[in-house]
Amino acid sequence: MSLAKFLIKRTLQGIFVVWGVVTITFGLRAIAPGDPVDLIVDPATSPEIRQQVREEMGLDQPLLIQYIEYLQGILVGDLGFSYQSRRDVTTMVIERVPATLELAIAATIVAIVIAIPLGVISATRRHEPSDYGATMFSLVGISTPNFWLGIMLILVLSVQFGLFPVSERPVGFVEAVTVLVTTGYFNDLITWFRHMTLPALTLGTYFTALITRLTRSGMVDELGKPYVTATEAKGLPSVLIRYKHVLRNTMIPIITVLGLQLGTLIGGAVITEWVFDWPGLGTRLINALYAGDWPVIQGVLIFIGIGFVVINIVVDSLYAYLNPRVVDE
Amino acid sequence: MISDRLKSSLKREFDQSLMAKLGLSIALVIILVATFAPILATHHPGQTGHFDEEGSSYPPIGFDYQTHAWEDGDDGRERIPHTVQPTSEHVLGTNNLGQDVYSRMLFGARTSLLVGLIGTGLAAAFGVPFGLVAGYFGGRTDDSMMRVADIMLAFPSLVLAIALIGVFGRSVQYIPDPIVMAGFAEGMPEYAVLPGTVTLVVALVNWVWFARVARGEALAIRNEEYVKAARSLGASNWTVLRKHVLPNSLTPIIVLATIQVAAIILLESSLSYLGFSGTTLSWGYEISQGQDYLRTAWWISTIPGVAIVLAVISINLLGDWLRDALDPNIEGEGGV
Amino acid sequence: MTEDIIRVEGLSTRFFTEQGQVNAVDDLDFRIERGEVFGIVGESGSGKSVTARSLMDLIESPGRITDGEIWFNDAELADSVAEGNEEAVDGDFVDLLSITEQQRTALRGTSFSMIFQDPESSFNPSLTVGEQLAEAVEVQQRASANPRSTKAKTQTADYSFGNYLLSTMLPSQRFVTDESRERAIELLELVGIPDPVERADEYPHEYSGGMLQRAMIAQALAGEPDVLVADEPTTALDVTIQAQILDLLDELQEENGMTILLITHNLGVVARMCDRVGVMYAGEIVERGTLEDVFDDHVHPYTEGLLGSIPDLASAGGRLQPIGGNVPSLLDHEMGDRCHFADRCPKAMDQCLEHPPEYAAAGSDDHTVRCVLAERSYDEQDSLPTGYFDETERPAGDKHEDPDRSAGEPPEERTQPQTTIDEVGGESR
Repeated sequence: MSLAKFLIKRTLQGIFVVWGVVTITFGLRAIAPGDPVDLIVDPATSPEIRQQVREEMGLDQPLLIQYIEYLQGILVGDLGFSYQSRRDVTTMVIERVPATLELAIAATIVAIVIAIPLGVISATRRHEPSDYGATMFSLVGISTPNFWLGIMLILVLSVQFGLFPVSERPVGFVEAVTVLVTTGYFNDLITWFRHMTLPALTLGTYFTALITRLTRSGMVDELGKPYVTATEAKGLPSVLIRYKHVLRNTMIPIITVLGLQLGTLIGGAVITEWVFDWPGLGTRLINALYAGDWPVIQGVLIFIGIGFVVINIVVDSLYAYLNPRVVDE
Repeated sequence: MISDRLKSSLKREFDQSLMAKLGLSIALVIILVATFAPILATHHPGQTGHFDEEGSSYPPIGFDYQTHAWEDGDDGRERIPHTVQPTSEHVLGTNNLGQDVYSRMLFGARTSLLVGLIGTGLAAAFGVPFGLVAGYFGGRTDDSMMRVADIMLAFPSLVLAIALIGVFGRSVQYIPDPIVMAGFAEGMPEYAVLPGTVTLVVALVNWVWFARVARGEALAIRNEEYVKAARSLGASNWTVLRKHVLPNSLTPIIVLATIQVAAIILLESSLSYLGFSGTTLSWGYEISQGQDYLRTAWWISTIPGVAIVLAVISINLLGDWLRDALDPNIEGEGGV
Repeated sequence: MTEDIIRVEGLSTRFFTEQGQVNAVDDLDFRIERGEVFGIVGESGSGKSVTARSLMDLIESPGRITDGEIWFNDAELADSVAEGNEEAVDGDFVDLLSITEQQRTALRGTSFSMIFQDPESSFNPSLTVGEQLAEAVEVQQRASANPRSTKAKTQTADYSFGNYLLSTMLPSQRFVTDESRERAIELLELVGIPDPVERADEYPHEYSGGMLQRAMIAQALAGEPDVLVADEPTTALDVTIQAQILDLLDELQEENGMTILLITHNLGVVARMCDRVGVMYAGEIVERGTLEDVFDDHVHPYTEGLLGSIPDLASAGGRLQPIGGNVPSLLDHEMGDRCHFADRCPKAMDQCLEHPPEYAAAGSDDHTVRCVLAERSYDEQDSLPTGYFDETERPAGDKHEDPDRSAGEPPEERTQPQTTIDEVGGESR
């Protein structure tokens, strides 16, 4: 199978998954308790007006018709209107994407930059203090709920030492960079960085710990393989043995696990946003859930589903790139 | 099911590993604490109003705290260092409502463990048969069943759990507490609280991990000679699944279940932190309560978090022990 | 007389495991002449693979070389080492165990290279064969561009993490250059791989076992080594392929005048390839000498037993004579101070309860043997009663079954059917 064919197959599977997500969220809305009309107009208004609103929203149609219309809407990027604010859901979701994306990317960078060298050091210096330190860190890291970690970071770094602001996102990365490029004004970027630090650390810790753990155990397995000895016998510098040979093969299983753990990253982002009052998809989702605003809930879930599928395709391609045997099978 | 070889492997790994011993000890302490919470508690967990003479929450014994100003004195008030005497009746202080934190931690352990254990049991009960059937029959059956699992994986577990709670509500079940009923603990709540919806929801969210592992095992086992032999002797698929495939796939399922208890405890704490669990007797809820009082009463949020971390670490250590001893091949872990 | 290239004196390699100390290689002496093929033959578990790895400095924890000297004849190296470390130098010889680890590592691939038993697991599955060969070429190129007489660290050791990070973005910083890639293709051609240009871009899983072993030989030749250590080079291959690989090795050895240390359990391979042989048992060389010494004038009953266990066309129809019993545990506390073979020896005598020294034996000057039979003949009168070792020294039956376990690692792979036990700690890493 060629790589292109492989990707096409994955994409078709991805489209199927997105359709499943749409259908399930639609089903959840259909069985959710409560009358949406109550969210739109005062429950005390006259039945005539309520009926009128219901018809305007298309809620009087049979479910199947509503479902088909919803699917048609999605194809043209229309996710309907919020019950609560009457705003266009697509806009409500998309305006929150950059904040979440920034957070997730920053956390992933924190995780990869710290975790992989830490895991390699830990595996190559087994049973030395640095290994025990890394092992303890990763054990505690994967066992700590990240909302609590966030609160503890706030307690120590913000409340006690005043190093970082407690919450919110006054400026986005793109805006800050634009300001820097156009006016040479640095402060926006610094503000962005100060506000980003705690949420990124909070979200990144679990992944740092997880990747450290996976890297260590994968490396230890891999270092025991005969080809490593053979590579040593060639006289190759140890940096190349560790990173070019062993780490590369270690990454193959790690990438699989990370693909599976993507949901955890997104779930972690949702709750991290809530802790830090970060204006991303997560806070939008939780607020919508508190309010029972199903079009918004659906919109966010579908977006997350699409994001999940896209990242998984990227992960699969990376996997195929690292592991030449996959495409052949 | 658990052969002598596995037993000796478990024992050897346990003897060698300090971490396994530590994990088992902490886990046992937490189980005991949760079971005998009404006896060990010093106060009714719901009883409010335990404040000091100035109307502030009590801090944990031995800690300094400031009753008034936390700012650098520009508001004119001075810091008043204040050490609570060891004679205070609130070992871990009281929370913002004046409830005894220590007693609430004990009862909170019950919620976490109940949800963790029952939720894992239910998840395995949904996921294992699903996975075994998919893997055993293979082909089309497998393909279509695993597509369903893929869709489940596209929902982050926390997000799906919240959405399901939005649909099912937040009902709780009250279970009579035999210890209190038998009169061993006067003045303690007579019912233990089980957040039923949350338990169901975490199972609905996490069954897919069991399905994946069970499927992988079934795929491998169905090609074993003894399975082929059983089938050629006319055993029905159902019999083969029950007598051969299930028992032989238990090892990785047990390891996964251990890890899942930890994952579900974390998930439950996240849900109750967000206020979706339906009970207030939960570590996660307690953390959310304290978040507004970080400046004046750090312990309200800190202590329950330490409890969660200890519980989850101990279970993860047990999981590592089982994994090292039984050495199954599990790729996913399932997380928060 | 040709000069020695390697003199091993009193080499001991031990593994420190939970069950106790394992004497995988015990007080070993041998020498290899420049340009010859020296064979070490023995059952699995006799320590031959550990000997090869000790020479290559590839012993890993929990193993360690605890004692002895490995003298390597290299005038240039001797010059560069001599300043500041005179004890490590004796004429043109350098004791590899007394120089720094860095100096030792720099010899790998350039002075010494190694062929491994299982080609399929000895290549990295996710890099092309050409790339892996080119790495070996590059090691040699960089070493020769930077002669060790300058006393500077070889350039390969200078390749740092920083270089590696840069190389992920800048092709110019890559370790392997295009010239090395071209040389790798030449090497593939040299070892008889058809379409070397295309094959260089293939991954190990696209090669057959025999092809891959050829590629491994090419890789070992890339560094133009003085000494090639071949550890069971044909064991994992089909019989027909085995012959081809041996032909290839033979040919290359004749062309380049390379010295080969050949490790094998297969006496047929020894007879075909070697000039001189050492027979190894329980971490010791029990008999060594020229090919004729060992095959025709052997003294040690173990050598006799080994020869008895190969099929011989001349006596077709006769039964093979396997050696009874198992390779002994190499656990220090179980070894005892006797001839290690005594418990399996058909000619064990009272005298064998003491550890025998090396005796000179009939045949060439080189022929020595660690057996009292070199000095006296077998006498029924002195023989040990049958079952003598069953009760006294081996009470706990099956604890000897699996010496590979004692190296703390599971056995990697079983080799030939008749060799049931892995090298201690050898193949398992």
